[in-house]
Amino acid sequence: MTALVELERAGFTYPGARSPALSDVSLDIAAGDVLVVTGEAGAGASTLLLVATGFAPRVVGGKLSGQRRIAARRCGVVFARPWTQLTGLCSTVRDEIAFGPASFGLPRQAVLDAAERAMRELRIAHLAEREPSQLSGGELQRVVVAAALALDPEVLALDDPAAELDPEAADALYDVLPAIAAAGKAVVVATPDLERAARVATRAVTLEHGRIAARGAPADVLDGTEPALVARAAGCPRPYPLDVPALVRRVRR
Amino acid sequence: MIGCEVRVTAVRFAYGEREALRGIDLAVGAGERVALVGPNGAGKTTLTRLLVALRRPTAGRVTVGDWDVATKRPDEMARRVGYAFQHADQQLFARTVADDVAFGPRCLGRGRAGVASVLDELGLGGVADLHPYDVPAPARKLVALAGVLAMEPAVLILDEPTAGLDRVQRSRVVAALRRRADAGVTVLAVSHDLGFVAEAADRIVAMREGRVATDRPARELLYDREALAALGLRPPTTAQIGMALGLPGSPIRAHEVVDALRGTRWKEMPE
Amino acid sequence: MIGYVPGASPLHRAHPYTTLALAGALLLGAFALTQPLEVWLLVAAAVAFSASGGVLRSSARTAFLLSLPIWALLFVLHGLLGADPRTTVGPLSLSVPGIARALVLGGRVTAIVLAFLTALATTSPHRLVEAMTARGVPFGRTFLLASTLTVLPRMRERAARILEAQQCRGLRLGGSAIARLRALGPLALPLVLGALAEVDEQVLALDARGAASAARRTALDPPPDSSAQRSLRAFLLVLVVAAYGWKFWRMRG
Repeated sequence: MTALVELERAGFTYPGARSPALSDVSLDIAAGDVLVVTGEAGAGASTLLLVATGFAPRVVGGKLSGQRRIAARRCGVVFARPWTQLTGLCSTVRDEIAFGPASFGLPRQAVLDAAERAMRELRIAHLAEREPSQLSGGELQRVVVAAALALDPEVLALDDPAAELDPEAADALYDVLPAIAAAGKAVVVATPDLERAARVATRAVTLEHGRIAARGAPADVLDGTEPALVARAAGCPRPYPLDVPALVRRVRR
Repeated sequence: MIGCEVRVTAVRFAYGEREALRGIDLAVGAGERVALVGPNGAGKTTLTRLLVALRRPTAGRVTVGDWDVATKRPDEMARRVGYAFQHADQQLFARTVADDVAFGPRCLGRGRAGVASVLDELGLGGVADLHPYDVPAPARKLVALAGVLAMEPAVLILDEPTAGLDRVQRSRVVAALRRRADAGVTVLAVSHDLGFVAEAADRIVAMREGRVATDRPARELLYDREALAALGLRPPTTAQIGMALGLPGSPIRAHEVVDALRGTRWKEMPE
Repeated sequence: MIGYVPGASPLHRAHPYTTLALAGALLLGAFALTQPLEVWLLVAAAVAFSASGGVLRSSARTAFLLSLPIWALLFVLHGLLGADPRTTVGPLSLSVPGIARALVLGGRVTAIVLAFLTALATTSPHRLVEAMTARGVPFGRTFLLASTLTVLPRMRERAARILEAQQCRGLRLGGSAIARLRALGPLALPLVLGALAEVDEQVLALDARGAASAARRTALDPPPDSSAQRSLRAFLLVLVVAAYGWKFWRMRG
């Protein structure tokens, strides 16, 4: 599969910052990936998302070093706080989702069709006529993802998308990601929620101080989930079980 | 540090026509660690706002220690109760993180003496001289929490204290709360994060549709799959492990599960 | 109080350009007209405007509160300190022409405020955006205008939350002038800083959804216009020009 995004020894420094937020990052992102990026706060996961999707430095300013090739026609981005991503100008969910396609001057019917498709994919068709300000955090975040998908981006980046959501809504959001990737897109998620990430990831990368510290299969990289930590502390050998069923299977009874 | 008892008696509250609290009776003793859980709209946050006089109940009585909250203003309640809001950005304003954390104590007429240690406790020592908005969003949440802890309240009320935090940050919050609860501070936390609840709470009060649906020790409720399902919740990872392996003693804290698993023989490769 | 209030009045249903044209005519008229009879006709027109939007009561109340300081100032300046002849009202000696002048000036201010508030209350930001999009106005300008319409309610909400947070940290409201001044920082700064922090995210999210696209946006649901409304808007323009012409002709003569 050809890569949608290629980074070769890429680095990035925010405007006015003394040290780079990313250094020496080499990474390919391909269609069908659900790539999870983790790391402690400030490690550079959010920055990696912005660099990989082209929003840094174009929109945020700053300086990019190294090589970056973005073959993707269009990239979408979703942040943690749903309400800051709304236009604030749309009175219905459908209009909010249609905002993207409408911005590119697509014919009216094409715009409405794109919005319908996105709502179906996120299973929020029942919210179409509702006012965005009346929705719960979980519903709103699904609207935001649908709004990003309505433009049919080839790469969808999500920065801690479930941070503000209750457990049910968080599960629903993560459950949708594999289907999006299966439709031929690349999904990149930056998150500290290793449990949920482990359920959906096809690849994982850990950042430390702006550099890649580990990369590979989720089972190897995302071993900071609670079952993994517990198993490790109780003497379980590698690879550590990432979830409870895996842990149970490893216990010799 | 001496905690206070928080007592809610027959409290009702309505937003206009809509009744948000329909008769709540709750008593949290000094030094108790209680988690308030329940679906969105259950009235959890509304209840906590009544405790700090941000709203007045339409019926019933709220007391914190010997104070009748109805006779107090929010800034007066700040002398006894520290309220950590869910969204930190609504309070950060000072030039540096340290100055912002010192704001609360200064309002209460206390010095900046405790600020540095609170910052270190939450891992913020390295950013003390930065502007709050130069610090990433999850860390800003910790700055806001530090600001509340620095006020050394007798009662701590926290609204979703771990939302958006990574594992290390969460463990720091848990440790900070444990330290204070051990010293006698009353802790009441609203949270969806049952992993956090398992680590930080001894008692869980679940609310639904404006009423207290259940009030049980954490160790009991977290192992009751059906009761949790009725609240739209799943057992935390620790309890799931405990239930799946039949571990004795209903361990809910990570270290308890690890202790219970010591001596386990592990299969080398996953099946 | 200040901000859009949904409704079904003639003003709500009119094309947003019509509503704004009516408000604009009242505003400009208030600067042009100076004679007592003219001004009181203007005020009557503003009241009628507000009533046709179904928002007279709330707008009048807010307009009253907002213009109260100005009325007070006018009465002090012109009523107490104006020229002879004077009349006695209770313990006060008031200048008759001064009171008349104060009434006229106050009337003009009130008409302006009432027209402005009514326009805000009856113009849906969403419909305005659609109207401007249908006319081909670039999105940057429509967003700027529409966002200013929604900024006040959003700021108010945010300000209320900040007030609560700071009170819970022990900030006492009221007290001496110095105390109030000191309270400004903790209250105003989070308002601005928080808004700016959110703007960063919103800019990225909107950019990702094509807000900066050079293509002409598709209007999905443009508010209906009519030749009658267009004629009305043209007539208002003529009226305003005539009012200024009248004013300058009078000044010459």
